[in-house]
Amino acid sequence: MKKILLVEDEKTLCLLYEEELSKEGYDVTAVNDADAALEALASGNFDLIITDIRMPGKNGIELITQIMGQRKDIPIIINSAYQSYKEDFMTWAADAYIVKSSSLDELKRKIKELIGD
Amino acid sequence: MIEKYHFLSSDFQWEAPRELMLLSVISQSLFQPFSLQDNLLVILTALTSGSGVGFNRAMLFLRDGDRLQGEMWLGPRSSEEAGFIWEVLSTPGIGYVEIVEHNRSLISRNQDSLSRRVRNLGFDMDEANCRIIPALAACNKEMYLVRDARSDPRVDPRLADLIQVDEFLCIPLLARDTVLGEIIVDNAITGVPIGVSDIKLAGLCGLIAGNIIYTTILHEKLLDAEKMATMGELAMFVTHQLRTPLVTIGGFTDQLLRPDTGEDKKARNLLIIRDEIRRLEGIVYQMGHFLKVSMKEPVFFDPAPVIDAVVRSPDVQAKAQAYALNVRLAEEPPEILCDPTSFGEIFRNVLDNAFDASVPGGEVTVRTQKDKNRFVLSVRDTGGGISNADRKQLFRPFFTTKEKGMGLGLPFTKRVMDSCGGRVEVKSRLGKGTVFRLIFQSRERGQR
Repeated sequence: MKKILLVEDEKTLCLLYEEELSKEGYDVTAVNDADAALEALASGNFDLIITDIRMPGKNGIELITQIMGQRKDIPIIINSAYQSYKEDFMTWAADAYIVKSSSLDELKRKIKELIGD
Repeated sequence: MIEKYHFLSSDFQWEAPRELMLLSVISQSLFQPFSLQDNLLVILTALTSGSGVGFNRAMLFLRDGDRLQGEMWLGPRSSEEAGFIWEVLSTPGIGYVEIVEHNRSLISRNQDSLSRRVRNLGFDMDEANCRIIPALAACNKEMYLVRDARSDPRVDPRLADLIQVDEFLCIPLLARDTVLGEIIVDNAITGVPIGVSDIKLAGLCGLIAGNIIYTTILHEKLLDAEKMATMGELAMFVTHQLRTPLVTIGGFTDQLLRPDTGEDKKARNLLIIRDEIRRLEGIVYQMGHFLKVSMKEPVFFDPAPVIDAVVRSPDVQAKAQAYALNVRLAEEPPEILCDPTSFGEIFRNVLDNAFDASVPGGEVTVRTQKDKNRFVLSVRDTGGGISNADRKQLFRPFFTTKEKGMGLGLPFTKRVMDSCGGRVEVKSRLGKGTVFRLIFQSRERGQR
């Protein structure tokens, strides 16, 4: 089972993603901030990271920079409410940028594309 | 000894050089923040009034793209009118300021028939037209004195026809080497020839006019840019604030619609959806409330009952359980100038911020002080303080350090304080805490 680390400060949204992605057959670990994400990464192996940008404490970009220093091989999807950052995601070394939407189809498709079922 | 002098002076040194007098009258008229049209009127008046350069008439063109467009024309329409105006204006006690006022009222009443005629006139500044007057002066950035307008082929016949005089001077309006307009002056009524010293003074007026236009355009661009930046921030803020609850509502609704969703999960999802809708309502309310365009009229009122009502309100009392809340109010507070409802809201804002900044065991102190015609309401917390970088942005809309903050409370507070002639002061030390001081205009109770 492929393991996904989900970084999202909105707890209800976290719950939604967790349930929906688990249903697709992924093993989802959800955390609410960047520090918790780094802790989870240190203790477990993940196939993919999905992160929000705007979070209390370290933001998603700082988190990605830190991850890239340690684990360049894990694909990263930025999942943000901000449409305007979409053009910049390549410079942040993320593999995809998905604007948050009530339909999770695009997110699910991208996950499948990056790590398979 | 220290002596104080005011910028404006009504007694001119009549023996002062004309250049100095001209600068003096223009500077004094530009002291007030009037509109561009108004300021240009001051320059035209300087060019035409006896205490200025003393031309009979002055015509103004402003640059609009590659075109000089007629804007204003100051001066008498006939020698009879000139005689009458000059008689009035030479009355003792009538100075330059009164002449500007006279011209302003003419323009504002749209009674300046000369201006109406020049507004229909425009000259292209393309290659062909740059060889003929008036575009020639603007294109070459030089002043041109025309001696025989009605017979010289280098004068545009439309201008010659309008101006009906042989001699006139074209003054391009320059700033930073850019042409921003042109002024044309003549002595149509008196027929006095235009001399070299007149041309020098007129050039000075042209430079001042050019700079006034330049700074006004720059200022307008700056305001537009600020507006656009605020709009951009608003768009980003709305996107983020609204999208998150919408995504949550949409996602959990999709789950509800699936046939395999159990009853327990359905009930849970409905609760989540209801909460998110309430959150959306809160966002919409706050945006409508804090970003509202007009502020209520400030009045003098007794702030004590409002302060008391806020402090005793259940949610403040609930927070006061977690942190110590000290309230020290001045006896017999004066009446303060503000809208009472807005006063209650901004006090609550500042108080909420103080609680939010507090750490367990922290203290929040509300204090009021009377000081001459001022009344100070201060709210102090012993929280972590505000960093210098954050302090600069405190009153910027949508700036927030709170997880669920909107960044609208303090900008609203500042707007209310501005609207009632008061101000907000913030002092903060990292690790020690912050104090917000709301300073209001006040008067003794019952005073009128």
